[in-house]
Amino acid sequence: MHFSYFRYTLSGMLLLTGMACQKVVHLNLNTTTPQIAIEGEITDQRPPYQVNITTSVDFYSDNVFPPVSGAAIQVKDSTDNISDTLIETSPGWYTTQHFPKGIPGHTYSLFVSLQGKVYTAVSTMPLPVNLDSVNYQSSNLFGETTIRPTPYFQDPPGIANYYQFVEYINSVRLPKVFLFDDRLSDGRYISEPILNDTTDHLYPGDTLTLAMYCIDKPVWTYLNEVSLITDANSQSSAPANPQSNITGGCLGYFSAHTVSEMTSIIP
Amino acid sequence: MSIIIPLPQKRFLFAFLPLLLFVSRSFAQTHHTIDGTVRDAKTGETLIGASVTVPGRIHAGVTTNAYGFFSISAPDGAVTLVITFAGYVPDTLAVTLTQNLTLKVGLTPGESQLQEVVINAGRRNDNVIKPITGVQKLTTSEVKDIPVLFGEKDILKTIQLLPGIQSAGDGNTGFYVRGGASDQNLILLDEATVYNASHLLGFFSTFNSDAIKDVTIYKGGMPAEYGGRLSSVLDIRMNDGNNQKFGVSGGIGLIASHLNVEGPIKKKKGSFAISARRTYADLFLKLSHDSTTRNSSLYFYDLNLKANYAFDDKNTVYLSGYFGKDVLGLKDLFGLNWGNATGTVRWNHVFNSGLFSNMSLIYSSYDYNILINSNNDNITIASKINDLHLKEDLQFYINSVSKINFGIDVIHHTLSPGIINTSASSSFNSLDLQKKYSLESAAYVSHEWSPGSKWKINYGLRFTVFSVFGPGSFYTYDSSGNTLDTASYKSAQIVKTYANLEPRFSASYQLSDPSSIKFSYTRNVQNLHLLSNSTSSSPTDLWVPSSNNIRPEIADQIALGYYRNFSNNGYEFSTEVYYKILQDQIDYKNGAELIGNENVESQLLYGQGRAYGLELYLKKKFGKLTGWISYTLSKSERKFQDINADTWFNATQDHTHDLSLVGIYKASKKWTLSSTFVYVTGNPVTWPDGKYQVNGQAVFLYSNRNGYRMPAYNRLDIGATLEGKKTARHESSWTFSVYNLYGRENPYTITFRTDPKDPSKTQAVQTSLFRMVPSVTYNFKF
Repeated sequence: MHFSYFRYTLSGMLLLTGMACQKVVHLNLNTTTPQIAIEGEITDQRPPYQVNITTSVDFYSDNVFPPVSGAAIQVKDSTDNISDTLIETSPGWYTTQHFPKGIPGHTYSLFVSLQGKVYTAVSTMPLPVNLDSVNYQSSNLFGETTIRPTPYFQDPPGIANYYQFVEYINSVRLPKVFLFDDRLSDGRYISEPILNDTTDHLYPGDTLTLAMYCIDKPVWTYLNEVSLITDANSQSSAPANPQSNITGGCLGYFSAHTVSEMTSIIP
Repeated sequence: MSIIIPLPQKRFLFAFLPLLLFVSRSFAQTHHTIDGTVRDAKTGETLIGASVTVPGRIHAGVTTNAYGFFSISAPDGAVTLVITFAGYVPDTLAVTLTQNLTLKVGLTPGESQLQEVVINAGRRNDNVIKPITGVQKLTTSEVKDIPVLFGEKDILKTIQLLPGIQSAGDGNTGFYVRGGASDQNLILLDEATVYNASHLLGFFSTFNSDAIKDVTIYKGGMPAEYGGRLSSVLDIRMNDGNNQKFGVSGGIGLIASHLNVEGPIKKKKGSFAISARRTYADLFLKLSHDSTTRNSSLYFYDLNLKANYAFDDKNTVYLSGYFGKDVLGLKDLFGLNWGNATGTVRWNHVFNSGLFSNMSLIYSSYDYNILINSNNDNITIASKINDLHLKEDLQFYINSVSKINFGIDVIHHTLSPGIINTSASSSFNSLDLQKKYSLESAAYVSHEWSPGSKWKINYGLRFTVFSVFGPGSFYTYDSSGNTLDTASYKSAQIVKTYANLEPRFSASYQLSDPSSIKFSYTRNVQNLHLLSNSTSSSPTDLWVPSSNNIRPEIADQIALGYYRNFSNNGYEFSTEVYYKILQDQIDYKNGAELIGNENVESQLLYGQGRAYGLELYLKKKFGKLTGWISYTLSKSERKFQDINADTWFNATQDHTHDLSLVGIYKASKKWTLSSTFVYVTGNPVTWPDGKYQVNGQAVFLYSNRNGYRMPAYNRLDIGATLEGKKTARHESSWTFSVYNLYGRENPYTITFRTDPKDPSKTQAVQTSLFRMVPSVTYNFKF
């Protein structure tokens, strides 16, 4: 549950009354040694599946993350004992060749051998939960109109469910992490809007595809920690690097998840 | 006493005779006790900390306690007592002592001190003599002349101008004392604990200066009667009320107004005081173009009530109450209100001249309520902490150089972390988080003693027992936070007990009349902890008691100080160094979920802390220009196994330099000008050095916790008060002030994001809360 209302409200009010102000500042930040980031997913939609490897850059560099080639990657369905070796189809992108469609309930493993180091991960694909419908909410707060897509679905009672939402606006993926879990909502019929803000540029007339993933707990924990860092309103007193579910000392994560999608036009 | 002298040694009798005579004369010189109360002669307000001395035996003086009571013994015969208190004309009383005597002393307020070089017995060197280190007292006259935000006088903001006490930042509740966290300060209003002493996120404190008589802050050597928090005790006493005539005073300001009514219940026997304050900040919101802002509410109010009645010379009863509330509302979509309520009943009883008792029954509570009413959600959240407190304090004045203080202190805490109610169509379940019950008891004894004319020692011991009770389920966790074991307890069944001894020792040695050195060692234990993992504290932060998982926090502090007064006590100078060791400090796992979490104790990490520093303080007390300079050089660090690879790192409370300059200039009979300048090193923060890609989004990469620092904070405030015509019936004044005169954009937060105008870049954005803020207030008094 996001109680960001409170912080947002008071600072928002002060900003509006002209007493407070915001400005871009240039900080003296240290440089970093590039670190490897591995992102991989197995879904219950049609294969192939991909793994992307990039490196990190300094804060004031451009958002261009150098791809990493030459990794030896394997994925395995540990439940059915089926493996596949991925081939690099474009710089930094490795694609499965013969891997079967992901099956909910199965456990998947990732093995990456790169520059003399080995990285492994395990993820179990949860049982699917499907979207019933998607509606839109328009909220007018502090002079800004924000459109928020609202998914409608039934949370299965009695089990811990973790959800990730991905939005495609006019077929372009919005690079933001939206999450939900049933810790406070087990068994409820969910109709919580996704907390988009005006920087996401959702306008009436746009075609929006909303994808709901069911992810496992380690992936949810990882992505939750990512969202705490990237959400400018979160104000965590001690941001730290998220706990990756990939062992070996790299950034990124490996997720085996189901997908339920709905496309509609924003009214 | 009889001496048996064997006959053969009779000749020795002559040698003994002078000795016998000497001894018998000493025994024949009996002592008696003079006790009494020191009050303001015009209003009847008891004066706390007034000095009562017998000239010539100055080291044998006493100060009045929190009820204005003193007791001093002297040899029979002619005795002269000198009673002094800052801001009052000293009084000299001559009595012939033949039996125990009770006096009623009334001091007349002194004229404003315009003359600098006057030999004045009213100038005291208490700060030099008093054995306690790290203690500071503020009078309301000092608070009233210092300009603060929106022209409101504010005790909490003013104490942050003293050495060793630092603000937690603009718009932040709380303050740090000697490198400790903001929940480590015990804030007492007439002995009741105030859990959240701030309004509107720390812009104002909950203390209406109209209602306050005395403020004492202990940063170091706290006497054994205080306990429960590690870093400081802020002991605030309310006005009793004028027991001779009725009076009304108040002020009307841009943001808030306040009104004070006081008067006698029965002339010179009892009085009452009522103070109220309310802001109307939301009036400004009505001017906004935005409809949400126009329909929002933002206000707070305070109500202080006090009444007292002296049944006879030996018995007085006091009733105090405080009620305050903050309301924040965003149209009908969101509402948050929070507030404190305290109530105290106290009975002072004087047994005989030398034994004073105070029995207090105290109720104190803090609660907050949230209402969310948007889309399909109709959610209410209520959280509350309730204390029932019984205290018995006895002060035994043995003789003029020795006083024993002992007592017991028992608090029953009920903490209700949250009751969440949701509607059927809401996406969230209703939830009743388990209530927590605990008992915090203490027994203490301390001895204030002056062994010789140069030494003053205050040593004592506080024994505390903290017990956690059922009913409820109590969990234990593994290091990953998974529940290992659940144990069920019945009502009033003990789950866990922590017993601790807290030794307290402080001493002062007078080097010369105006100078002394002081030393103290204190141990403090804290059993209530405030959990908050966001940059600024919020009224919804969670209080938790020690438990089967959370151990009590312990602090050991030593301090050494040198005190010197100049120009016949016209200037006070002091310097102190301190070193503090903190154990069982609490921090949070990455991404810790503190809200609505029955297993919140699985989200915590435990470690150590240390803080040390040097404080310098120079104060000018008399003359046209008064004020002070305070400078603190300090460091505060923490060490946790899971943070920064178990190495010492700078704590959030670490502010290397903290400089405050306060000046009050009485330009003429009508005009008083004041100014404050503050410079503080920025606090340590965790900032990214790099970034990487997740789901196409730039995610920031961090190396160490608190490896960077915020820019330094500095600010200049000015104020001017114009006194209106003063008649016997009516006084008025105008106060003008400018907060942050040169409009420096002191950072409130610095956050990171992808540039909304250029998605190929990331940038840092700084938010500042207040630039230049002028204000006007009109004050009146009948």
